[in-house]
Amino acid sequence: MEQESRVRILIAKPGLDGHERGARVVAFGLRDEGFEVIYTGLRQTPEQIVRSAIQEDVSVIGLSILSGAHISLSRKVLDGLRENNAGDIMVLVGGIIPDKDIEALKGIGVAEVFTSGSRIKDIAGVIRQHMKSQ
Amino acid sequence: MKQDEAMGKKEEEIDRSYREWEEGVVKPRIRKFDLKTSPTRFYTPRRDNGHGFLEKVGFPGQYPFTAGNQPFEYWQAFARDAARLGYRPDWGGSGRVGKYGGFGTPADYRDYLLKMHSMGRKGGPNIAFDLPTQCGYDSDSQYCAGEVGRVGVAIDTLEDFGIIYEAYTGEMDIDRVPSNFTINAPAAVIIAMYAVLAKKRGIPLERLEGTPQNDILKEFIARGTYIFPPGPSMRLFRDTCVFCTRSMPSLNINSIGGYHMREAGASRIQDLAFSLANGIAYVEAGLSGGLLVDEFAPKITFNAFGGSMEFYNEIALQRAARRMWAGIMKERFSAKNKRSMQIRQPITAHIGCISTTLNRPLNNLVRAVIGGMAAGMSGSIPGAFPPFDEPLGLGHSQEAVQLQIDATRIMIYEAKVADVCDPWAGSYFMENLTDETEEQALSELRKIDNMGGAVAAVENGYMAKAIARSAYERQKAIENQEEFIVGVNSFTEENEIEVMVNRVVEDTYDQELLQTAEQRQIRNLKAFKRKRSQRSLARALRDMKAKALDDHANLMPSLCDCVESSATLQEICDVLREVFGEAQPVKL
Repeated sequence: MEQESRVRILIAKPGLDGHERGARVVAFGLRDEGFEVIYTGLRQTPEQIVRSAIQEDVSVIGLSILSGAHISLSRKVLDGLRENNAGDIMVLVGGIIPDKDIEALKGIGVAEVFTSGSRIKDIAGVIRQHMKSQ
Repeated sequence: MKQDEAMGKKEEEIDRSYREWEEGVVKPRIRKFDLKTSPTRFYTPRRDNGHGFLEKVGFPGQYPFTAGNQPFEYWQAFARDAARLGYRPDWGGSGRVGKYGGFGTPADYRDYLLKMHSMGRKGGPNIAFDLPTQCGYDSDSQYCAGEVGRVGVAIDTLEDFGIIYEAYTGEMDIDRVPSNFTINAPAAVIIAMYAVLAKKRGIPLERLEGTPQNDILKEFIARGTYIFPPGPSMRLFRDTCVFCTRSMPSLNINSIGGYHMREAGASRIQDLAFSLANGIAYVEAGLSGGLLVDEFAPKITFNAFGGSMEFYNEIALQRAARRMWAGIMKERFSAKNKRSMQIRQPITAHIGCISTTLNRPLNNLVRAVIGGMAAGMSGSIPGAFPPFDEPLGLGHSQEAVQLQIDATRIMIYEAKVADVCDPWAGSYFMENLTDETEEQALSELRKIDNMGGAVAAVENGYMAKAIARSAYERQKAIENQEEFIVGVNSFTEENEIEVMVNRVVEDTYDQELLQTAEQRQIRNLKAFKRKRSQRSLARALRDMKAKALDDHANLMPSLCDCVESSATLQEICDVLREVFGEAQPVKL
């Protein structure tokens, strides 16, 4: 727990979509799991998300996307991180993601995708596993 | 002995009231639709049972409307004809209102609508706008890359709006079919476009029908497409309310969404209390604009409360909601017109998309039928909603839509679910549950009243935070197996099989057009800006700004002037952003 409390996570909502139930629930849940969680709020551009992640020195970014623009938005965030030498930050995606796009997202560097019905415990598990391997 | 006498009197009173209701409410409605008999029945208790039947339930179509707005609805009057004719409704629409939709550029969507019309799917425009439009940005804004024409059609200008309406002429002109606009923060601008379009076509404004969603409060609470802070947003609502009432009296003023809040995590009681609190704020806004309550309250509508699998509770919610709104309108606002006191909504109970599961999705059909049963028992068409493949996020397949429409038909024609009006009336259980729901919602409503009403409870973030907290509580209850969802957190062992279905996705929108829409719309916008008169544009925006600065002025005439003078949606919103400021997201 001691070490975990230092793990910082940015939950972000890129684009104009305003459905933030998932983002808020995950933010609350990961906080209760002992992580330090920062939620950006609505309408963030990929550039703003990359900037916040670097400024806040997070290890993990969780992108919540329901608008169907998940591939282009995730790619912009991943590219932005690499350009800023922050490619080691783990990027997770949550939202309404069709099956066929899950592999595509993993292909461009998203570590894991969580769709409807996912458990916070499982998200926390993936983050802990990642931190152990660092 | 005395008690028996009192009972006897009460019994007589119920009998007498029943006869009066039959004569005064049911028979005129039977005549109205030229029927021989009523398609529904309604039962009363022989005795009062101590529940205060006449005061708290009453008869369908009479105050306090607990038992329903009408003894039977329009669709029931013609249900048999519909079956004989093999009528196929477009889900999300009706004979007059078309299916909710929108994508790409205005020309893309116009062509799609023309194709639908040629296939016999003729309803008025029921427009989904893309996120840039909903947030008051033009397609070329830096904030909109990748979002133009995606979740709806892109509208930047009056010209764009007019292009969609090229699909609505002749027998489908705008004085023949209603228009629905699912937009909130910039609703005033879209209403202005509708008014100017009618003027250009020489159609009197009073003949325009339809419903703009125009429910900004729930955007702050649940859905997030706000632009200006709550105060100025309500001023815009006031201006649309007065303008619609005075100039477009056949148009509904708004459609208040409880369902959006439920989808965002609200509990049933929060859904009910917050919806009514928002409704009260809108009525107060209309009054502050100098209107009399019965002038405009009949044109306030609701989008549907509800959104859970809890069958009994969702029926009780509908009954409590009708009684509460009627009481609020009568007692608090001294409304006299019956229509001011009714909750007008397209459907009553439903399960909400949030109750559907990605795991074993065919189970969602069963879930939707349960919602339809609750709807049929609480005053609306027993609609199975949504199609089972909703959570797959790929558009509804033809199979899913067919199953959904057939499920609704089976509930109507084979199960005869809606043949009895408010079948739960007088049940000890249901009356108690209705009372409990009302009491809890009233207590929440009082809390909001004490804060200063819905606008104050939006400004201080109370409602948004309460809903976020409820959403998280629900998630915890599911993860801890306090609540069970079949195939999600229970009954997921290896021996459970996934029931397979063939899914042919209806090719709703052309994927190629979707890919290129943003580029094409930006090109259209640039061309539009080059050819317009800068002088009249600058004057219109300047005049509008002056009106915006004067809180007593109604902005609608200036907004009409702006769209007619070729101002874009964002140019208008930018002037208003300058005057009103921008809304800040709620911090958790």
